[in-house]
Amino acid sequence: MTVVACLKWVIPRVDDDDRFAGISAADQSALEFALLSARPGEDVVAVSAGPLGAERALRDAVACGLSRAIRIDLDPRASSSAVASSIASAVAGARLVWCGDYSLDRGTGSMPGFLAARLGIGQALGLIDVTIGDDSMSVVRRLDGARREIMRVTGPAVLSVEGSTARLRRASLRGVLAADNAIIDVIAGMSSPIDAVDEKPYRPRARALAAPSGTSALDRVRSLTDAGTATQRSETVVLDPPEAAARIVGALRDWGYLG
Amino acid sequence: MNRPDANDADVIVVGAGPAGSCAAIAAARAGRRVILIERGPFPGSKNMYGGVVYPRILDELVPRWWETAPVQRWVVRRSTMILSETGALSVDYRSNAWGQPPYNGATAYRPDFDEWLSRQAVAAGAQLVTSTTVTGLLRDASGRVVGVRTDRPDGDLTASVVIACDGVNSFLAKEAGLYSATDPSNFTLGVKETLALPKHVIDERFGVRDDQGVDIEILGGTSGVNGGGFVYTNLDTIALGVVLKLPKLAAQKKRPEEIIATLKAHPAIAPLIEGAEVKEYSAHVIPEAGYSMMPTMVTDGMVVAGDAAALCLAAGIWLEGVNFAMASGMCAGEAAAAAVARNDVSAKGLAPYTDKLNATFVLRDHKKLRKVPGLVLSDRVQQRYPAFVTSVVERVFRVDNPQPKPGLRRIVRQERKRAGIKLSELIRDGWTGLRGFG
Ligand SMILES: Cc1cc2nc3c(=O)[nH]c(=O)nc-3n(C[C@H](O)[C@H](O)[C@H](O)COP(=O)(O)OP(=O)(O)OC[C@H]3O[C@@H](n4cnc5c(N)ncnc54)[C@H](O)[C@@H]3O)c2cc1C
Repeated sequence: MTVVACLKWVIPRVDDDDRFAGISAADQSALEFALLSARPGEDVVAVSAGPLGAERALRDAVACGLSRAIRIDLDPRASSSAVASSIASAVAGARLVWCGDYSLDRGTGSMPGFLAARLGIGQALGLIDVTIGDDSMSVVRRLDGARREIMRVTGPAVLSVEGSTARLRRASLRGVLAADNAIIDVIAGMSSPIDAVDEKPYRPRARALAAPSGTSALDRVRSLTDAGTATQRSETVVLDPPEAAARIVGALRDWGYLG
Repeated sequence: MNRPDANDADVIVVGAGPAGSCAAIAAARAGRRVILIERGPFPGSKNMYGGVVYPRILDELVPRWWETAPVQRWVVRRSTMILSETGALSVDYRSNAWGQPPYNGATAYRPDFDEWLSRQAVAAGAQLVTSTTVTGLLRDASGRVVGVRTDRPDGDLTASVVIACDGVNSFLAKEAGLYSATDPSNFTLGVKETLALPKHVIDERFGVRDDQGVDIEILGGTSGVNGGGFVYTNLDTIALGVVLKLPKLAAQKKRPEEIIATLKAHPAIAPLIEGAEVKEYSAHVIPEAGYSMMPTMVTDGMVVAGDAAALCLAAGIWLEGVNFAMASGMCAGEAAAAAVARNDVSAKGLAPYTDKLNATFVLRDHKKLRKVPGLVLSDRVQQRYPAFVTSVVERVFRVDNPQPKPGLRRIVRQERKRAGIKLSELIRDGWTGLRGFG
């Protein structure tokens, strides 16, 4: 069996200077979980779909202790669906596939979902906490409205994690030296059965908002920015710790911070 | 002593600045196994300087370097400017020959230049390890340096020779006991702003076109803190900075950014940079005292090169360090490779490194100019001469009709007295200068 980490190599600059390229904090967390979750005897494989430069990120990953690295030769602008199809064909049969929840280049976070569909395995996406047990993992997923979902993962699955979930280990010096000569398997990318045919620059749709209330400009600015409301809400009370905690939770609920 | 082939490398070079990359190129070309360790994510990412390199020393290491080196502009105009509070006297030289191969000086960004140079080292066979900081030396029972410790797990590496190219204030050279006590008055603080302007505006203001560039060194204009300044042109930015004597800066309680702001407002400088946007502010220490602060260059198993060995020439009209770093690095790499081949990496076996430095411009220039940094940074040259010189020139060129033109000798005498300079001091400084610049 194998455990896979999917890493997207991104140049986060308008001038395309690839010296500043790298993988996101979320992908680094994914790599760390891949290394942590592998059982004895299992291979840990990193996959990156991208241009030649991506091999640098793969070598850094190899230095952290991977068994193997694969680069799928694919145009960096390929759709999430095409990336998922290519990765799925390279890692079929994997027990766990770890991804970051979003890539650095304003990703939509859709690739892991596509990947689970192509591999025909389960998915647990947008994770904010992961506890690895012997036979299963307990994971916490972020939902809208500050809600959480706790799940147990037992079978093969694609998991996507947020950047704060784990800190990637520092590669050993021996690892770094050896990774320089590591062989990176390169395979050709696949086209996807579903693909975007027309790509336009990202322009969020305009939304109509109600005009702010108030007669003076200052009042309207206050109502737009909520300025001053926080201080009006403040209140000093002296309570025992349990009562104080209950009061805080109640206030947060009233103000809409808790579901 | 470790068996040489049991070591991780023949030569470990610490720091992939100009000194380190050239050391690595030279040692790798000689067939040695070389590991080049850099703390930044890529070579040059952490490095700053004023902005002009004189790469002719690369003729040996990277033939036709000018075809691939990441140059901003080729320097075809060099000016030395003496600033009083409101006046400026410039000596300006232009040579279009400097804009043709093999060129003279070039402006370049360090992240580009250092990274390019490190690629030459990798092409020569050196192994480059980035994002790794050397934290100490490994020594054997006899005290000989046998490798380095890094900040990575499992991070010790052994080698026959360590070449310390870790820049100014080298803690490796200090750890090896090559420096005597550190004296802050041997150092200056260099601060620089990178100012963005459209290329055509820079071309017009500095009287250049295409890839031609300008190098202006400044004496005075540092708000009474002993030091100097510089203005260099890149393609679409200007590097403007000051170099300040550390003890004076501390004593006068002035902030370097205020001194730069005052220089930028000087009537001779302001029009050059008007409308420019500050892109970057950076600062770095310079081993200004040159020859008088140099360490012992070799010890058993280790040599030191570049700024780490204080091989930076900061002598008024010259601010050169990169070329000295490249040359000393090259000599260190060659000497280390030869010592490994002879299987004698003791201080004696590595001594040809010092001989090479002595035989080339590296130590010869430093020896010849050893009195110049002290002279240039002296209170008289800094505080009184700029006002004296500019007021002499002002009076020579001022037309005060109907008064007849005054004689030059009289003006000099009057202005010298007004500036509080004794004739004996002027003669002494002139003589030191003549001998120094000789
Ligand atoms: C303001 C200013 C203006 C200057 N202007 C000019 C100029 O116009 N022209 C010129 O020729 N010179 C100039 N110089 C001098 C020039 O910058 C230096 O002389 C030159 O950079 C020295 O090169 P080097 O390789 O010895 O050291 P550096 O360039 O300092 O390189 C040292 C390298 O070692 C790395 N390093 C340090 N410690 C460690 C460690 N422990 N582990 C791993 N890596 C480490 C650093 O990251 C760096 O890459 C200027 C200097 C300053 C400060």
